[in-house]
Amino acid sequence: MIDFPWNDRAGRFSTVRGAAFALALAPACWLAFEAATGGLGAKPLTEATHQTGLWTIRLLLVTLALTPLRRITGWNRCIVARRLLGLSVFAYAVGHLALYVADQGWDLGQAASEIALRFYLTVGFVALVGLALLAATSTDAAIRRLGRRWQQLHRTVYALAALGVLHFFLQSKIDASEATLMMGFWLLLMGWRAAQRAGAPLGAPRTLTVVALAAGLATAGLEALWYGLATGIPWRLVLAANLTLTPWPRPAWWVLGAGLAAALLPLARARLGRRPLSVSPSRA
Amino acid sequence: MLIKRKRGWELPESQATPESVFRQRRRLIAGLAAGPILLGAGALLAGRGASPAAAEEADPSAKLYPAKQNMRYRLDRPVTGEELATTYNNYYEFGSSKNIWREAQDLPIRPWTVSIKGMVEKPFEIAIDDLLAKMPLEERLYRHRCVEAWSMAVPWSGFALARLVELAKPLSAAKYLKMVTLEDSDVMPGQRAGWYPWPYTEGLTIAEATNELAFIATGLYGKPIPRQNGAPLRLATPWKYGFKSVKSIVSFEFTDQRPQTFWEEIQPAEYGFWANVNPKVPHPRWSQASERVLGTDERVPTQLFNGYADYVADLYKGMEGEKLYM
Repeated sequence: MIDFPWNDRAGRFSTVRGAAFALALAPACWLAFEAATGGLGAKPLTEATHQTGLWTIRLLLVTLALTPLRRITGWNRCIVARRLLGLSVFAYAVGHLALYVADQGWDLGQAASEIALRFYLTVGFVALVGLALLAATSTDAAIRRLGRRWQQLHRTVYALAALGVLHFFLQSKIDASEATLMMGFWLLLMGWRAAQRAGAPLGAPRTLTVVALAAGLATAGLEALWYGLATGIPWRLVLAANLTLTPWPRPAWWVLGAGLAAALLPLARARLGRRPLSVSPSRA
Repeated sequence: MLIKRKRGWELPESQATPESVFRQRRRLIAGLAAGPILLGAGALLAGRGASPAAAEEADPSAKLYPAKQNMRYRLDRPVTGEELATTYNNYYEFGSSKNIWREAQDLPIRPWTVSIKGMVEKPFEIAIDDLLAKMPLEERLYRHRCVEAWSMAVPWSGFALARLVELAKPLSAAKYLKMVTLEDSDVMPGQRAGWYPWPYTEGLTIAEATNELAFIATGLYGKPIPRQNGAPLRLATPWKYGFKSVKSIVSFEFTDQRPQTFWEEIQPAEYGFWANVNPKVPHPRWSQASERVLGTDERVPTQLFNGYADYVADLYKGMEGEKLYM
């Protein structure tokens, strides 16, 4: 029997895995379409490199969100998509590196020397090596063989995600808004984990609200810190920009919004949690 | 008498690919790849194919172009396709995407007043069309080397900056020329990002500004220059990285103080005042040894002063202590 990625372990189609597979594939399909129609602009390789990098970090954060999401919503089945999404992250990261090398005219020596010389590339490359290690141990056999050490090894994914975000910051010309946004989502995920470890129930809207506020504030603070340390832009102006919503809301607001949206999920759980799936909904 | 000395990087026009053929070739390749799988997406493709030229309207200066080509400024490579040069732009006043040409169409370019001020005999303001009438317009083929390691070959029309300096009559104490972009956050949403030091400011020494290569471009591809490329007038200093070439200029100020430029202020470790092209001095994040020529599949070696050393190297004699190449 062929083991299609959208099937569950029993070989039946799984909606969750099917949706995850579609999500993982969609950016690559869009990119291929754009490439074929000239939509990638004057420097298609550079644009494709940026896009694959962007989707690497986005999909990585989505993957890391599944475990806390399960705890927040009680939706246990979402976890079946985790390995699939994690492997797609590695695939995008490999594509990202391959496109970079292609942009260097496939000059491997040049690419290697650039990776060694430029700190932001070194950081990205270390993260990729880490992802490769995790991908290589993402088999049932490896999980059995490694036992407890598997957990320890795969927990490094949070550090790898942080390296990915750092790589994103370091490559910014000046505008680090999207890198800041990714950092903010990472902080949100870290906050949920920390709350869980501290024994706060993740299913409680109050816990989630506190985490959302903390992540939002930390995002604003770290963004200002980045501009203050890495650029000539006054950090006070960046921090103050959070108080106006023009020209667009700063990343901290999006992080806060995402965190507060998550805080609403347990309410949905209370309403929907015990409803049998086969029975049509009725008002209580 | 002007003695025509052929430089190493010049090519006879007969060997350059005509722009029309060059662009057709690109479309042909794109069409071959896309055709079989995308027949159903015709409408979408048609929408994407709309060129920025379609956004052009009557421009009072349209009749001035094409200007006569000045054969002294030719190139060793085919001119970059118009569609590429007019759809791949930086214009931070509208946003930080390279795909900013649509947004830039909001730029109001008439009426447009240029002010000449600072250390000059008599400061004055002049409307763009009056300025154009006073200046001898010509077309020059220049290389354009972006600090981000890509390049174009561009047919600018306009006039030598030296002619404008003559018109301005600077005092002998003036050492620098400071040039500033329009500031109007009502039409330029990027300028609402208040943490940037708007307006965009650039500067040259008077010696640089009066070098024969320093050029004020008011036209592009034999037409008035599009907004995304810096309408109605922008600087072109082909021996320097592209960010020096300030767009949509509203003032030329003569001063004895070195201007604090936009990029030098926000990222001094990466984008300095001098910004002369040098393949041996890497950007902190990438090598400057080679560049991707827009619209081609190749990287070519970058040259010192972007190939214009014969014209400008003397400007920097005795300045070895300065960060000339960053």
